[in-house]
Amino acid sequence: MRRAALTSVLALAFGAAAPAAAEPTLVLSAYGISQDAFKKILYEPFEAQCGCELVVEIGNSAERLAKLEARKDNPNVDVVVFADFNALEAARKDLIQPLDPSKLSNLDKLYDVARDPVGDNMAVGYTLYSTSIVYRTDKITDMGSWKDLWRPELENRVAFPNITTTQGPLALYMAERAWTEGQPSQGLETAIAKVAEIKDDVVTFYERSSQIVQLFQQEEIWAAPMGRFAWGNIMKLQMPLGWLLPAEGQTGGLNVASIVKGTEQADLAHQLIDMWLSTEVQTALAEALVDSPVNREVELSGSVAQLMTFGPEQVESLRLVPPEQLLENREAWLETWNAKVAQ
Amino acid sequence: MFTSRTTGLMLVLPAVVFITVGFLAPVLILLAQSLRLEDGWGIGNYLAFMNDGLGREVFWRTIKLAALVTLAAAVIGYVAAWAIVETRPERRGVLVGMVILPLMISPVARTYAWLVILGRTGFLNVLITNLGLSEEPLRLLFTETAVFIGLLQLFLPLMIISLVSALENLPRDVVPAAQTLGAGWIATFFKVILPLTREGLVIGGTLVFTGSVTAYITPAVLGGSKVLMLETLLYQRVSVANDFASASVIAAILMVTTLAANRLLRRLATPRRR
Amino acid sequence: MSSRMGGLMLALVFLFLIGPFLIIIAAGMSAGETLAFPPQGLSLRWFWAVFEVESFRASFVLSIGLAVGATLLALVLGVPVAYALARYPLPGGEAMSTLLTSPVIVPAIIVGLALLRYVVIPLDLGIIPALFVAHTALLVPYAVRVVSASLANLRSDIEEAAVLLGANRLQAFFLTVLPNIRNGILAAFILGFVTSFNQVPVSLFLTGPGVSTLPIQMLWYMEFTYDPSIAALSALLALMSMAIVLVAERFLGLSRYV
Repeated sequence: MRRAALTSVLALAFGAAAPAAAEPTLVLSAYGISQDAFKKILYEPFEAQCGCELVVEIGNSAERLAKLEARKDNPNVDVVVFADFNALEAARKDLIQPLDPSKLSNLDKLYDVARDPVGDNMAVGYTLYSTSIVYRTDKITDMGSWKDLWRPELENRVAFPNITTTQGPLALYMAERAWTEGQPSQGLETAIAKVAEIKDDVVTFYERSSQIVQLFQQEEIWAAPMGRFAWGNIMKLQMPLGWLLPAEGQTGGLNVASIVKGTEQADLAHQLIDMWLSTEVQTALAEALVDSPVNREVELSGSVAQLMTFGPEQVESLRLVPPEQLLENREAWLETWNAKVAQ
Repeated sequence: MFTSRTTGLMLVLPAVVFITVGFLAPVLILLAQSLRLEDGWGIGNYLAFMNDGLGREVFWRTIKLAALVTLAAAVIGYVAAWAIVETRPERRGVLVGMVILPLMISPVARTYAWLVILGRTGFLNVLITNLGLSEEPLRLLFTETAVFIGLLQLFLPLMIISLVSALENLPRDVVPAAQTLGAGWIATFFKVILPLTREGLVIGGTLVFTGSVTAYITPAVLGGSKVLMLETLLYQRVSVANDFASASVIAAILMVTTLAANRLLRRLATPRRR
Repeated sequence: MSSRMGGLMLALVFLFLIGPFLIIIAAGMSAGETLAFPPQGLSLRWFWAVFEVESFRASFVLSIGLAVGATLLALVLGVPVAYALARYPLPGGEAMSTLLTSPVIVPAIIVGLALLRYVVIPLDLGIIPALFVAHTALLVPYAVRVVSASLANLRSDIEEAAVLLGANRLQAFFLTVLPNIRNGILAAFILGFVTSFNQVPVSLFLTGPGVSTLPIQMLWYMEFTYDPSIAALSALLALMSMAIVLVAERFLGLSRYV
């Protein structure tokens, strides 16, 4: 009786909000950045094509991975996109299932690095980006190295990615290379100790790349390590901001798409991923300065190509950190970081 | 007429069942989980939390900020409440309404306002640099100061309201009486006003302190990862690290802290008779 | 303390309490692309832009539905409790009231987490029913307290009179008590509505794909956009609250119940 009453109250209160059962729903878990562009270029065309509803859940990669893990027995997400090392971790924790290459017609068009980055077809890369330092060209001149983040002019004017983000370990890795003259230690001790030295002068340790844009806009910061995928948003600020090509080189990352284990929408999931990899979508995303392409057939105009991580040579030049190395050392880095920087 | 215990019970039963099943049970299970170890039960998770420098630091920062906010709210609250009580009764209603108003506005909006004010290009820094108080705009966001200001604005109204009702009940002639007897303002406050309004102060103080300890939005937006408090640390442990053991410990610590504050302050409110 | 001094102090306190909202409203009226104070030119465009954002519309509808539904249920549960406390001898009264007020004491973030972990995930319950339960539990103590306050002034002989005149107990309640505590119930409804609508920590963990309350959505949006739309939305919400408070204060004397 009580139950019935409660149910009817619930039905009354939320009847309108209940999803219509007619169309199948596909749930995508994605990064929060540039959602407007994704909506126009990918989500809406996909919905038109599949006759389904696409629901998008956003958050940073660690948050979304934690949610997948919490809901392991009862997943409510079908497709997830995150960093390659997140996919490796998800695969080891049995949270994702292999892709079926025969259902991905665009797979052959991809750079080799993107085709099967974590093994067993557990993931496919959809964008490759470089990570470097963005800085205010009117405030600081002759930047040339990762070490320049430590310059006294940047005191109280620099942000650093938190270690829990995707960019955090990447930035630390390059800082370690810079401060050890190319002899990085496995534990990144030097870089973490260096960050600890200036921790009071760091404005904030950012948790999501989207925050960076705001920090530059409000002039909280003049420099920060950042992934190229945020560059389009940075440019919209119309401020004198430059992308550093450091002496030690740039690092970067591969973002991948995976299918959540136990999904009931495996077909739709493959369709979405395949569309994402298509020459058309990859080109449109690059032209909107959202994501650099991994599809070799993409052709970009010179000005756009310059702004993205584009072309085989650039892809070759990135000092990528292998996902295994990242995953296996992250715990130790986190511990050192918590002991030295977070307190 | 109103003697039937059964009728009374029947009236409260639905609420009791709802709260127990939908609220208390899950919360108790969560708190119990903090004692759960990989092999059996014990206080290992608590020891781990307290041995972790970060955990200790966040705990003490939370207590410190909440205490400072409570203290500041009490000082400002007495002044404001006194000024309100001094006004004519018909104006008093309007003033109390103005104090309550911010309480009704979304805390997200309230916190966002401080983001606009405290930023490097924000209102306050524009003011400071234009007045020549500082050459360079000051770094205010993502500091303990920013969190302190945000929390104080959020919870000050609760203190003012509690003190207004306490001061309204203060006999009108005690202050003039004390001053006729030669007591200065400070002596009058500590010897006369404070003891007579202690209960209001304690109620307000409890609300402000527990509110500050359990605030989420303010430390999340104005403090960020550099100024973690217990709630933001809890969120981080759950949602970034999926570290449930330490999350349940933080939950228990939050719970115990608010309960202890409630108890302690209530004891202060009712002094033992000599 | 002289009264002029007191007036000055009070003005400063109100500047601190209310000034930020004026700044937010001004920032929202900016014509520029980015958030700034003082605003770059005046325009209402960002106020209109808020309504174009789909996630705001969806979460606004959810938040309103949640606030109304949870407050109503909290009243359905809470009014009988307040009545029983005022009229009947209750066994274990102390323990009972501790139990019923516990949702106010327990930090809200714990409630959301506990429900997610031990109800939503294992029972595969939807996010929305969980939000509904959590918000209702949180509001029951408010409903009890506010309605109790208005019952306290009501003498019990009016029900006795009604019963003597031939009404049964239920009729007596609806005919004599309810009309007299109507203002208290309305005040409780408004307080409950505002509390639920603005609630963040409970809802923090209770979000899912496509499901999120307005304040949570605003927290997200704040990070991803840099234009004045959040300022405009904050200003709109502040104005909405001001309207509610003014109307409630005018007709109910809301401040007596806070």
